[in-house]
Formats: sequence, C-alpha cells, structure tokens
Amino acid sequence: MKIRHDIAFVLPAMVVVAVFFVYPLLLALNLSFTDSEGFANYNYVGLENYQRIFTRARHLNAIWVTLAFTLIVVVAQTVLGLLFALALQRLPAIRNLCRAALFLPAMLSFVVVGYVWQFIYSPFSGGLNAVLGAMGLESLQSAWLGQPVSALICVAVAHVWMFTGYTAAIFLAGFAAIPADLTDAARLDGARGWQRFRHIELPLLAPAMTVNVVLATIGTLKTFELPFIMVRGGPDGATRTLGLQIIETLFGQYRFGLASALSIVLLVVIVAIAWVQNSYLRAREDYSR
Amino acid sequence: MTHRSVNTAIATGIVLLLVAGMLLPVIYMLLMSFRTGTDIVQNPLGLPATWEWGNYLSAWQKMNYLRSVANSLVVTIAVTLLVSVLGALAAYPLARRTNRLARSIILLMALALATPAFVTITPIYVMFAALGLLDSYVGIILAFTALNLPLAVFFYTSFITTIPVELEEAARLDGCSPFQVFWHVVRPLLGPATATLSLFVMLTVWNDFTYPLLLLTDPDMMTVTVSVYRFVGNYNIRPEDLFPAAVLGSLPLIVLFIFFQRRILEGVTAGAMK
Repeated sequence: MKIRHDIAFVLPAMVVVAVFFVYPLLLALNLSFTDSEGFANYNYVGLENYQRIFTRARHLNAIWVTLAFTLIVVVAQTVLGLLFALALQRLPAIRNLCRAALFLPAMLSFVVVGYVWQFIYSPFSGGLNAVLGAMGLESLQSAWLGQPVSALICVAVAHVWMFTGYTAAIFLAGFAAIPADLTDAARLDGARGWQRFRHIELPLLAPAMTVNVVLATIGTLKTFELPFIMVRGGPDGATRTLGLQIIETLFGQYRFGLASALSIVLLVVIVAIAWVQNSYLRAREDYSR
Repeated sequence: MTHRSVNTAIATGIVLLLVAGMLLPVIYMLLMSFRTGTDIVQNPLGLPATWEWGNYLSAWQKMNYLRSVANSLVVTIAVTLLVSVLGALAAYPLARRTNRLARSIILLMALALATPAFVTITPIYVMFAALGLLDSYVGIILAFTALNLPLAVFFYTSFITTIPVELEEAARLDGCSPFQVFWHVVRPLLGPATATLSLFVMLTVWNDFTYPLLLLTDPDMMTVTVSVYRFVGNYNIRPEDLFPAAVLGSLPLIVLFIFFQRRILEGVTAGAMK
C-alpha cells in the first residue's frame, strides 16, 4: 500500500474535519481578538475581550457558577452511581433490569428532562411541593427555582438524575473487569462487606473512576441546557454557566468577538481541569496496581 | 430460608424500591400527560380523572410532530451513515501505519474530540450564514458529522488494530487493490463495531439541542428536540402541552432503547473504557 492510497482513505474525513473543525477553531481564535458584532466589518482590539471577561462581575460570576455546578454534579453523580453499582454487583438477579432502568433517563433529551423537572419544582401545582404537603411537611415547601442557591442545587439534581445510570453502568463494567480469583481469595481471607469493598474492589475500580470523573467533569463544564431550559440562567445569574453565557452573548446580543473569547476561555478551563484530573487519577491507578 | 437468603431478599427489595424511585419522574410525566390543566392545579398528585387523549392530539398537531420526526430521522440517519463510512475509511490506514503523518492525524482527532462544540459554533454560524447553509439539511448534517467523526476514527482504529493483518496480505497477493482489500476483507469484519458506534452516534445526534437550536429556525426544518422546546415555550407553561410533548419527544428513543438496550449499554461502556 503506497502513501497515495493512504491519503485517498483518509482524505474525505480530513476534508470534513478541516472545514468544520480546524478552520472554525482558527476563526474563533481570530474573532476573539476583535470587536465583531454581527456580520459587519470588525476591528482588532487586542486582548480587550479577555480583559473584559476577567474584570466584569457578570463573566467572573459565570465562571464561578460553572465550577460550583460542576463540583456538585460530579461528586453527587459519582457517589450515587458507585453506590448503585455496588448494590447491583452484589445482586446479580436484578442487575441487568436495574442497570437498564437507571439508564433510561439518559435516553431522554435535555429539553424533556428540563421541562419535566421544572414542573416538578413548580411552586403552585408542582410534584415536589405536593409530595411534601401530602407528608405533612408544608414548612419545607418552597419556590425551588426562585432562590439563587436552591435553584443551582435543584438544576444540579435534575442533571445528576439524568446521568447517574450512565455512571453506574461504567462502574458495573469496572466491577466485571475485576478478576474473580482476587475477590475469592479475599473472601477466603475473611474480607467481607465494607472491607472487601474498601480494600479490594475500590482500588481495582480506579480505571472506571478515572473515566467517570473525567467524562462527568467535561460534560458538566460545558453544559448550558438545563440551566437554560429550566431557569434561563436565573434567578439573578445564579445558574448562568459559561456555556449559557456564550449562547446569550452570541444569539442574544450578536457579540461574536466576545462570545469567541468566552469560548476560548471555556476551552482552556476544560483542557486544564481534564488534564490535571487525568494525570492525578492515572497516577492513582498505577499506585493501586 | 437461611439467614443469608433472607438478607438477600431484603436487599433486593430495597434496591428495587430505590431504582423505582429514580423512575418516578418518568412515571409522573406519563400520568400527567393524560390530565387536564385544571385537574392538575386542583390535585397535583392525582391519577388521571379521565384519560385525555386530546392532549396528545393537540400536541401532535401543534408540534408538527410527523414533520419534526422526519427531520430528526433524515439528519440522524445521514450523520450516522457518513460518520461510520468516513470514519472506517480513515481508520484503516491509521490502524496499519505508525508513521509521522498517521500520528499527527490521530493527534488532531484527539484535539477535536476534546473541544466542546461551543468553541466552533460562532464561526460555523457565521460561515453557514455566508454560504446559505442555515436552515438546510446539508449544513447541519455536515456540522454533526464533523462533531462525531473523531470518535468514530478512534473507535474504528482501535477495532481494526485487533484484526490480524495476514488476511489482508493474502488478498493482496491475489492481486486485490487496497480499496478491494478494504471492501472485501476488512469491511465485512466491522459489523459489531459499526452497530455499537451507530447506536451511540444516533443517540447523541437525535437528542442534541445546541446545533439544531442555533442552525435551524424554519419551523419546517426543526428536529424533535427543538420542536418540543418551541411548542412548550418559556412563559405560561401549560402542563397539558408540556407533558404530552415530552412523551412524544422521548418516544422514538425509548422504543429504540427497549429493542437495543443491551447493545446501547455495551456501546456506552465500551466507548468509555477504551
């Protein structure tokens, strides 16, 4: 096989990637140094957009919201997914059924999940307040999406609900990859229950842990869908993530230059965090081997 | 019953209850979809007093349901086909070569895989507006193809690496051209990888919200997710619109999931563990 044959195989894919990824990426970098607003001519303004992002409260707030939202989601989703996987690992009779049932929410779209949960949280006829009322807990009823902190947590809950089955499925694959003779030997040595999990299984789940944490982090850092559909980034910007900020800057205000700079910042944040996580978690995998 | 099996039975019961609890929002969505708005306001947790199939009829018509399902199908099927064909073709030499060109292409694909769609959406929007590709099947299909192609290249490359090279050498000695070798020897072996990859790509493309929201604005071009979003709206949300629209919007993928549940879960975990 000669090189021109190789190129013929690779060429169609490369053309698509060049036109719809490489070129737009370079264009975004270029636009981020301009004051482009819409399709008219634009001027180069140096680092002005970046300066604006790191000095205006509105943009800094979006960065903090993104980080807080991601932290809540990744921790809750990993713990919950791990607990479900651990339980199902011990109960083979219902494992496949429950794995599929838990995964079902991930088959719904963000639009559907967002609307349904928005209604569950609704202060007037929503399901959550109604359930609390029926249990005699009227004092806990609340306008869930109406206050900044509770709105962020409530949107995070919907996000975690959607993807817990995904995390659990990956942990279950991790459990399945643990050699049976290892757990058998541990059992003969008298390691039971918590000990068996803490000292045998958890260290051996390190690769699944890496995948889950990194995937959930990347997915959540760039999310805008649920905050957008459920609360439009409100109340008072409490759920306005960087992703949502980009969409608003782009399609609400047509400030292409600023939106491009924001997206470059988002890219740098994602790559930096994913890189740190990946190297830390990979080192942990080697250590546990 | 022994002590141990009693414990197992209790644990099974508890876990089943918890999993059922996770499904409550889905059950809630189904039950609410058959109720009138006033009925829900008066008794938020009640079962349907009468089964309002009219909710569905109205949502079906106002969402232009069949049209949006057709749009989603055209886009999803075209992207899935393009991604698997272009991905497999590109992966073949990448799996068999270790030269500098192959390594740089893999590196580029890795960068594309890590970059969120946001970074390129502004320029793509500008580009599509200039080329008249907004509100067109061609535009959104190509944009989605580029978004999913890197994953396909990785997926097929690692799969083809596991196929022994001897078969191809034999075919080559018989006088097959490189393309014939690929078509007659390699392609028939890609079935399982293609099935797994296709389901994954279909899922992502069907449920994606960003691209169709920004690149398609003509009501006749909207995909299912966007048409649910536009129909339900943001202000004065009516439950008798919201819930049937949510059910109709989810139905196609839930049917797909029921039939291909095992394969979809396999794909999700295999893709992640690589």
